[in-house]
Amino acid sequence: MNIETSYSGDTAVGVVSGRVDSSNAKDFDGELSGIIDGGATNLVLDCGSLRYISSAGLRALLIAIRKTNQAGGGLALCHVPENILEVLEVSGFVRLTKVFETVEEAQASFK
Amino acid sequence: MRIVVKPDPSEPRRVVDEVERFCVEHALSQNIIFRFQLSLDELLTNIISYGFEGATEDPVITVDIRLGDADIEITIRDNGQPFNPLEDAEIPDLSLAAEDRPIGGLGIHLTKSFIDTLAYERVEGFNCLTLTQPLGAAGSEESPDEH
Repeated sequence: MNIETSYSGDTAVGVVSGRVDSSNAKDFDGELSGIIDGGATNLVLDCGSLRYISSAGLRALLIAIRKTNQAGGGLALCHVPENILEVLEVSGFVRLTKVFETVEEAQASFK
Repeated sequence: MRIVVKPDPSEPRRVVDEVERFCVEHALSQNIIFRFQLSLDELLTNIISYGFEGATEDPVITVDIRLGDADIEITIRDNGQPFNPLEDAEIPDLSLAAEDRPIGGLGIHLTKSFIDTLAYERVEGFNCLTLTQPLGAAGSEESPDEH
């Protein structure tokens, strides 16, 4: 798992690649928390290169959703592969976060 | 093929990699690989984290893969505490808002949703959970017309 982050104003875009599973969900949590605690109230996660996410990864995502909500911002996902979209649907996460086709659409949702 | 699993948190990923290799060698679909990867990570993590709390015997965990003509079966066996994930796992409330959602409880739910057929039995001190997935690309809706 790797996250490459870029910033524009109070919005951060993190490109997530690899897999988020029980072995590295803590690192995923730490990276997301670092981005949000660093001042980004809006977070877009580009999931185009994400291979899979297990429930441990969803827990980290849930924490990030809560933090951005508390900061008055939000978390949005884009480029979500079909299998991972199914994980988000089955786990009810599509109700907790918005899913967009592109980074631009996700960014625009915060304006 | 049998994989012997040590009770170590790094093991689910190794098993997932071995299962992926097996599936790729046998030209199985990415869809099947994804379903097994997710389920094995969830189930093995549960067993390794909680299955042996208070156990007196040395942990034994194995994963067996059997490829048939129409389906693939993976059986996880462990001699930990009796646990039937099909009955003993809590069903998460997916309607709750992010603030009210408990942290956790999704792993078994995901497994049940992503695997076509799950069967549990307790045999001679072992939890035996068999995951079966049809080889048809689309999953459960595929069924042969004859036989």
